[in-house]
Amino acid sequence: MADELASLITALGFTQETFIVFVILAIVVIGAVVVIITSRPILDIYPYLNPSSRVRARKGRLFDEKQISEIVESNNIEEVENYLKGVPEYADVLDEYPLDKALDVERANTYDFIARLAPKEVKAPFVVMSKKSDINNIKSLITAKEIGLNAEETKELLIPSGSLYDELSSLADAESVTDIITSLDGTEYATALEDALPAYEEKKMTLPLESALDKYYLGALLRSTDVPADENTQIVYSYVGTQVDVDNLKLILRAKEDGLNYDDISEYILEDGYQLREWKLKDLMDSPDVTNVVSGLEGTKYSEALTDVVPQYNETGSVAVFERALDVYVAEHAKSLSSKKPLGVGPIIGYLSQKESEIKNLKIIARAKREADFPNSKIMEMLV
Amino acid sequence: MVEIALGTALAAIGAGVAIGFAGLGSGLGQGMAAAGSVGAVAEDNDMFARGIIFSALPETQAIYGFLIAILLLVFSGLLGGGKGLSMEAGLVAIGVGASIGFAGLGSGMGQGIAASSSVGAIVEDNDMFARGIIFSALPETQAIYGFLIAILLMVFGGILG
Repeated sequence: MADELASLITALGFTQETFIVFVILAIVVIGAVVVIITSRPILDIYPYLNPSSRVRARKGRLFDEKQISEIVESNNIEEVENYLKGVPEYADVLDEYPLDKALDVERANTYDFIARLAPKEVKAPFVVMSKKSDINNIKSLITAKEIGLNAEETKELLIPSGSLYDELSSLADAESVTDIITSLDGTEYATALEDALPAYEEKKMTLPLESALDKYYLGALLRSTDVPADENTQIVYSYVGTQVDVDNLKLILRAKEDGLNYDDISEYILEDGYQLREWKLKDLMDSPDVTNVVSGLEGTKYSEALTDVVPQYNETGSVAVFERALDVYVAEHAKSLSSKKPLGVGPIIGYLSQKESEIKNLKIIARAKREADFPNSKIMEMLV
Repeated sequence: MVEIALGTALAAIGAGVAIGFAGLGSGLGQGMAAAGSVGAVAEDNDMFARGIIFSALPETQAIYGFLIAILLLVFSGLLGGGKGLSMEAGLVAIGVGASIGFAGLGSGMGQGIAASSSVGAIVEDNDMFARGIIFSALPETQAIYGFLIAILLMVFGGILG
């Protein structure tokens, strides 16, 4: 056997040394191929491992249905606050701020946390989401100035979060809304606000300015994800795009309820939606009433969620039922997306969506508890 | 220069493949499990012990590779100064190294992914610990197969005994 091998090696033109070199080279090549093939999926999931664990830890601390029921059964707003003070997530912010502001601060902190934590390839949309604090603060500032609040009262309205917080705080004693907008020159919101300024001055309403900020935000959100390169970015695009469509739909439903036509709201709609493009949005706005808007959505993914609550709308006559149905749809869509990529962006989206729903629900409960004798069963119906 | 028989030199390559690839898989797996565990501990200090357990799981593949490499070095005469191996036995030794090396690579990476995922599940829900351990232990089997075959090759290939 040894002789046969030795003669084979010699026949192949190898000496003992060159044969060893050949074996080493063969192993190196095979090894390199194996490592390259097997490491590719690892490289895809590696950036998400640490963030996934962190958000799943926080997801585990979100309120479950039993805890939400306990909060709903509180006798008054003080009991709600005391319950939340016993939860580490809310205790710190409640020590510093009143309940509603504390919830807004907690929401802003959550978005900041995710924006810091998200891996590079999906970071952009979460950074845009974290800027919502700045947008809300600008809106608060404009509203406060419009209704004539003083500097102290205005500062109370601002959420201490976002990159513009210090600058916006210093604008609390600005003379007018126009001054505020002029002072924001150089920020990313300047163009949107300046474009809407003539409409504000003409109508003497802050709505054009607020809508311009919302439109800017949704546009930035959609642009940040519009080139989905892999499954993770596709999931984020779907999550973000659904939010944009839902916001457009809410605007159209409200406009139809108020009897407005397309031209009245076209400047506030983000025409380049996700699944609902400009022609479809125009089509929906041309519908004679709210129920026709819903039937016009047939064939889209939003149809079923809205059609199911048409009987409720017929009973109440309020588009709030459609808005709640859309919120529930967004939450369920996020839940299904979160299970698609458990070792990717899935847990991040799942946590963000559930935290958003939790804060929305706490705000609903807080508002209801401030009203005397608001039935708990009614609160449960209103929750997302 | 030290005179080394061709078979012994081939066994040295086998030892390198054994610990090299098994260690690579183990390292990648442990890195993934540790990345998940650090995230969990950052949010919940109580996760430290459980994080260590899951991060240590993918260590076994490197231990198997290390054991096989030591056995090859000893029985090929590189360590301890025994007689060298024939060329056929040397080729068998490369098979031994490849067996535990590649099995350890796949097993370690798989275990790392499962362990990291389990840490995420446990930090979300404490009751997942036992089930997490079971799922994380599953990819160990491939390393055990590789280890067994490596031992059998050494026994029946004339390296051991």
